[in-house]
Amino acid sequence: MAAQRQASSASQTPHISPAELSYLYTSLSLPGTPIRPDGRSPTQFRPLSAETDVLPGTNGSARVGFADGTQAIVGVKAEVEKTALGVQAQQLEGAGGNGEAGADGEGGVATSGQGSWVQMAIEIPGFRDDDALPVFLSEMMREPLVESVSSGVKDDGEMVGGLKGRLVINRRWHWRLYIDVLLLSQPLSYPLPLLSLTTHLALLATKLPKLKSKGEEDPFFDDDWNAAEYLYPRIKPAKTNIPGSISVHKVRPPVTLLVVSVAENIIFDPSREEIAVADAVLAISIAHDADSGRLKLLSIRTIDPPSRLTQPGVPNSENVATVGSTAAAEESAIVNPSTGEEEVPGVWKPRRGGVKRATIANMVKMVLEQGGVGEEVLEGLEGVEVG
Amino acid sequence: MKSLRRDFSGDPSTANVTSKVFVRSTKSGKVQKIVRELYLRQDIPCSSRLCTICPSVAPTDANGNIVPFVLSEQPAGTTAFPRGHYIVPDTNALLNGMDLFEHTGAFYDVIILQTVLEELKNQSLPLYNRLLALIKTDEKRFYLFFNEFRLETHVRREQDESINDRNDRAVRTVAKWYMDHLRAVTKSKKEKSVPAIVVITDDKENLRKAKEENVTALSLENYVSGLEEADRLLDMINESREAREAKEARGELFYPEYYSMSKMMTGLRAGNLHQGVFNVSPYNYLEGQIKVAAFDKPLIIMGRHNSNRAISGDVVVVEVLPKDQWKSPSTKIVDEEVVTKNDNPEGEDNEAVVTERERRALQEEVRQAHGKNLEGRPQPTAKVVGVVKRNWRQYVGTVDSTSTGSQTSGRRQQNVFVLPMEKKVPKIRVRTRQAADLLGQRILVTIDAWNRDSRYPTGHFIRSLGELETKSAETEALLLEWDVQYKPFPKSVLDCLPSEGHDWRVPQSTDDIGWRGRRDLRDLLICSIDPPGCQDIDDALHARKLPNGNFEVGVHIADVSHFVKPNNAMDLEASVRGTTVYLVDKRIDMLPHLLGTDLCSLKPYVERYAFSVLWEMTPDAEVVSADFTKSVIRSREAFSYEQAQLRIDDPSKTDELTQSMRTLLHLSKILRQKRMDAGALNLASPEVRIEADNDEVGDPLADVKTKAMLATNSLVEEFMLHANITVAAKIYSTFPQTAMLRRHATPPPQNFEELINQLTKKRDMRLEVSSSGALADSLDRCTDAENPFFNTLVRILATRCMTSAEYFGAGAHAESEFRHYGLASPIYTHFTSPIRRYADLLVHRQLAAAINYEGEDGRATIEGSITRNRLEDICRNINYRHRNAQHAGRASIEYYVGQALKARSEKLAADGVDSGIEEDAYVMRVFENGVVVFVPRFGIEGVVRLEDFVLPSDEALRAVEERRELVTRRESDFDPEEYTLKVSDKGQQERSVCVELFQRVKVNVSSVKEETGRGVGKRRVRILILNKKK
Repeated sequence: MAAQRQASSASQTPHISPAELSYLYTSLSLPGTPIRPDGRSPTQFRPLSAETDVLPGTNGSARVGFADGTQAIVGVKAEVEKTALGVQAQQLEGAGGNGEAGADGEGGVATSGQGSWVQMAIEIPGFRDDDALPVFLSEMMREPLVESVSSGVKDDGEMVGGLKGRLVINRRWHWRLYIDVLLLSQPLSYPLPLLSLTTHLALLATKLPKLKSKGEEDPFFDDDWNAAEYLYPRIKPAKTNIPGSISVHKVRPPVTLLVVSVAENIIFDPSREEIAVADAVLAISIAHDADSGRLKLLSIRTIDPPSRLTQPGVPNSENVATVGSTAAAEESAIVNPSTGEEEVPGVWKPRRGGVKRATIANMVKMVLEQGGVGEEVLEGLEGVEVG
Repeated sequence: MKSLRRDFSGDPSTANVTSKVFVRSTKSGKVQKIVRELYLRQDIPCSSRLCTICPSVAPTDANGNIVPFVLSEQPAGTTAFPRGHYIVPDTNALLNGMDLFEHTGAFYDVIILQTVLEELKNQSLPLYNRLLALIKTDEKRFYLFFNEFRLETHVRREQDESINDRNDRAVRTVAKWYMDHLRAVTKSKKEKSVPAIVVITDDKENLRKAKEENVTALSLENYVSGLEEADRLLDMINESREAREAKEARGELFYPEYYSMSKMMTGLRAGNLHQGVFNVSPYNYLEGQIKVAAFDKPLIIMGRHNSNRAISGDVVVVEVLPKDQWKSPSTKIVDEEVVTKNDNPEGEDNEAVVTERERRALQEEVRQAHGKNLEGRPQPTAKVVGVVKRNWRQYVGTVDSTSTGSQTSGRRQQNVFVLPMEKKVPKIRVRTRQAADLLGQRILVTIDAWNRDSRYPTGHFIRSLGELETKSAETEALLLEWDVQYKPFPKSVLDCLPSEGHDWRVPQSTDDIGWRGRRDLRDLLICSIDPPGCQDIDDALHARKLPNGNFEVGVHIADVSHFVKPNNAMDLEASVRGTTVYLVDKRIDMLPHLLGTDLCSLKPYVERYAFSVLWEMTPDAEVVSADFTKSVIRSREAFSYEQAQLRIDDPSKTDELTQSMRTLLHLSKILRQKRMDAGALNLASPEVRIEADNDEVGDPLADVKTKAMLATNSLVEEFMLHANITVAAKIYSTFPQTAMLRRHATPPPQNFEELINQLTKKRDMRLEVSSSGALADSLDRCTDAENPFFNTLVRILATRCMTSAEYFGAGAHAESEFRHYGLASPIYTHFTSPIRRYADLLVHRQLAAAINYEGEDGRATIEGSITRNRLEDICRNINYRHRNAQHAGRASIEYYVGQALKARSEKLAADGVDSGIEEDAYVMRVFENGVVVFVPRFGIEGVVRLEDFVLPSDEALRAVEERRELVTRRESDFDPEEYTLKVSDKGQQERSVCVELFQRVKVNVSSVKEETGRGVGKRRVRILILNKKK
């Protein structure tokens, strides 16, 4: 029963008393300037340590550790696979003949990949791999990954057809990516941001062996690993002679951020306690849009906030033990502006009902706006030296 | 947000661990990133005898001994390095100059880096194997230094550094380390005695960097120039490199480019390209065939452009040409020597791939393609689009005298053509400074490259074998051509022989360990029957009557496996040699002399170990039971076939031994009949035997004898076959996967198509090829009352249509494929000649294991087992060696016949004119411009060209030059459907000679030496067809 609850809610429900919940909620809902238990500003992320290429046997890997002790490792392996051909494609194939006609396959047909070529498996201690949490998490991260397609003209360092398109070798062959996500610690807070950041870094570090064959030939690769090419192509800055200049990615994999709202306040990178009292928990996936140079929204998913499952506090007025000791006037119920429900201040009441559209809009805006949290996060990740 | 990387600098052991990362593509199409961790160590010795430190730290074996140090304390000096030097070659130096490194005059004390060895392995497996052999021998003092595992010399690849640059850096790092190391360890001694470390590299960048880093580095050419005999040594440097540099500017390309590897692989998998071994026709150097799995009949590859630089034996990938380019196989004899005799090896500018002459020769074939009959029907042709594996080897040849420049006296480097002995191989352009010296010599050359911009392959000279036509040079040439290992056995092999040498005896006491598991068969009346003068007696026989009226028949085979233990040096050498090679005057043994002709040989009157197969047979030669045992025997007598025959035929001899031989003969006849009834083939090959030890005065040709078949021959043969079959069944039942067996695949019927057609047309005879029995019967019917040899001729031709028998591991084929077609036996192996065949030795081990014989050390049962992979390797090798041994033997006989003819002509020269010798011959093939005839008396076949048809008008002309002039006047009328060729002088059709297939003709055989023209000094057997009808 407990496990099921864990699995379906945003994180393990911390054992926090109604009084503590109420205190937290009150601090976090202070208008304009919420006070977070760890003293962070609403948009501040916890410090993290990250490194890439930790697993030499993989095509790309990363490790990220949050300051609260949660750690995750992601390894990406790539495998060459034969593309199952539809009837139409086979006819094209027949016409293509012995590989001489390979050049004409470069455009249209060849660039559309399939989402199923990316497989993600998440391993969380204490969960079976068919438990709801890992399955839900993996689909939540995989979906934006394969569906993020940057439309636009093809030029240097750009991926036509997004990740799916990048995995196409030619009409008959493609790469299959296996992304294995391993949470090393107990899931102290909802692990989505950690896993997403780690996966993002691992994908940036992923290299594929350099293709030597051309066109429709059976793939044949350079055996020099140093010649391998990044899955997400990089372009060197114009002045390449600067030593230590970091090459930049034009296209990057998406990240999924966890955002909570408490009353009017919007809080990023919530800790376990903060989630426990949140009115709404959203997973927002964003990616760079290569055309506009701005961020774009890929998906929003709501996550069942655990606050709904908490025990309610009992107001003194209703408490048998304290009946009469406090003046009822002190406990007059006021209407919570964000939920529109009547509440007695200082007495915890589990959240109910939905979130206001304005709040959600605000959350999205804070993520996407220029100079907003999304850019900050991506910039921060860019700073992690890859390779 | 900040990123933290773990810091390893504090950990002292991280320097000792590094890793190697690469991408591996597996056969199944998987692409894997492979990471290998390397643990660096500091105890890998420098192996210099000068060193005082390394011996104390070098790793020891279980007995506390270190591997003896290799590099001499006083290495040879040169003018540039008077204090002596160690050589550190890079990979290219070895690729270009392997022959130099093998040369015994220079290149001692060489440090081979692991990096270099591995790189060489990737680039050229044959060179890698040669280098390994060099490292193994002690004389040349080559030391394999595991630089990648030593901490100081391990080089990590830097960012953006190419693999080549990294490897070059590794070479320089090693050189540097050796310098410092040697200086340090010899500090106490005289400073002067430290040898120099010389890096040999042809890479300009590497040379430059070496200079910067104070490492002595020289190009191969510079280094060799500083040695004695530089001229001779410089010739041995691979030519391809220079040629490539020199010609880059020209860019004139004669041949189409090969497809990329991936394109070929895609095509092969898709089935529109085909892979196979390229085979050049022995009669037409412009025409090749390739047998591919997809088609029943081989594809034809016509002309130099289509064969696209493939050389006979290469594994190539071909593409079938469109149907309008299909042609019929050539009906013309085209000899490279004749067609291209005016090519200039120096001049490249006026070269075209297809010269006018060649084009004309090809044109003829196109015309023929429109013929109507089977032979003339166009067949699929193909073009070579890539080479999977070059099968280049060293070739024996002669310098084409016409290709040498006018001033041959100087030491100027010039290009010459070398004509390989093997006619299927094109002439090789070789750069040499010693052209004048090499004329008239048999020389060994190798092919280095064949680039698109060169009409002929380029190669380099390796060494001279000696004067043409000297026995030693020709014998060595022959052995080299057929890849026979003829070097004396190395010491490591001889060390495996019993220490008693010739004094070895079967132990007296039957309690001795040598008797364990052996049956005492010394009281049996065993004898051996072999060709006269046979020293390596493999087999002996006996037969005796049993009380129940049946016979006990025993075949006793020399117990070689007792002396040759698996996996020791002797066993490995024998497995490489595979078989003993018999030449006319020489035997190249598989096993050392001591074993082959003494300890193993079942000599008469002495006790010998044997492996016996004993049958109980009814008087009708039905086998009641079979038994196998190791034994000790004492042969009563060693007969030759003739002696045995005489003894059996002599009614006065009634002793037991003779009686048992008569029993054997009687039983063998029944066995033979049974075999023939089962459909065994009686095949024929053109065999003559040469008794070389005749005196000088007689007619040299008297030594050449066709093999006589006595009843005793077939006596031995039958029982050996029977023993082989019995043993094959036994080992197969014990080792269903790894039994060493021999099979003869049923030939596909289309192989016989042409012969069937010819027989039907010319003789109205039918050849049934549905089964071996049917073929045997129909062959028996192919007789010609007037022409007794005709039947043999047909048998020879039929044999050529078949596949050759091969060794294989039982797991390699389904049981139904085990059949031996020629012997009509469902299973077969070789058991009876372990002294001269490695397969038999293996079978002995397997049989010993199958009968639970334990041997002296109780290990015999283990020795019998062998892994499937190893068995397949062995089979591949011995099949190859076996085939080569046969070719070498035949070539030796051919050479001997030529020499005998020459000796005869010299003897008769007193009369002034060499008239040759008149013989009967039979026409085997008819071409448009000549015929191929077979001379049974000498077992040779030869091409007769138009000019060698003697017409009434020119009967007097005998000299080669005189006849050659006739060729312009000759005219021929070839009928491909009737297989006839009418030869006449132009305009004089009424006076013509007409020959047809299978016809018996009178020929004049003589040995002639070319006096002028391109083949000066070349001797060949000339056959003239005489204008005499029989």
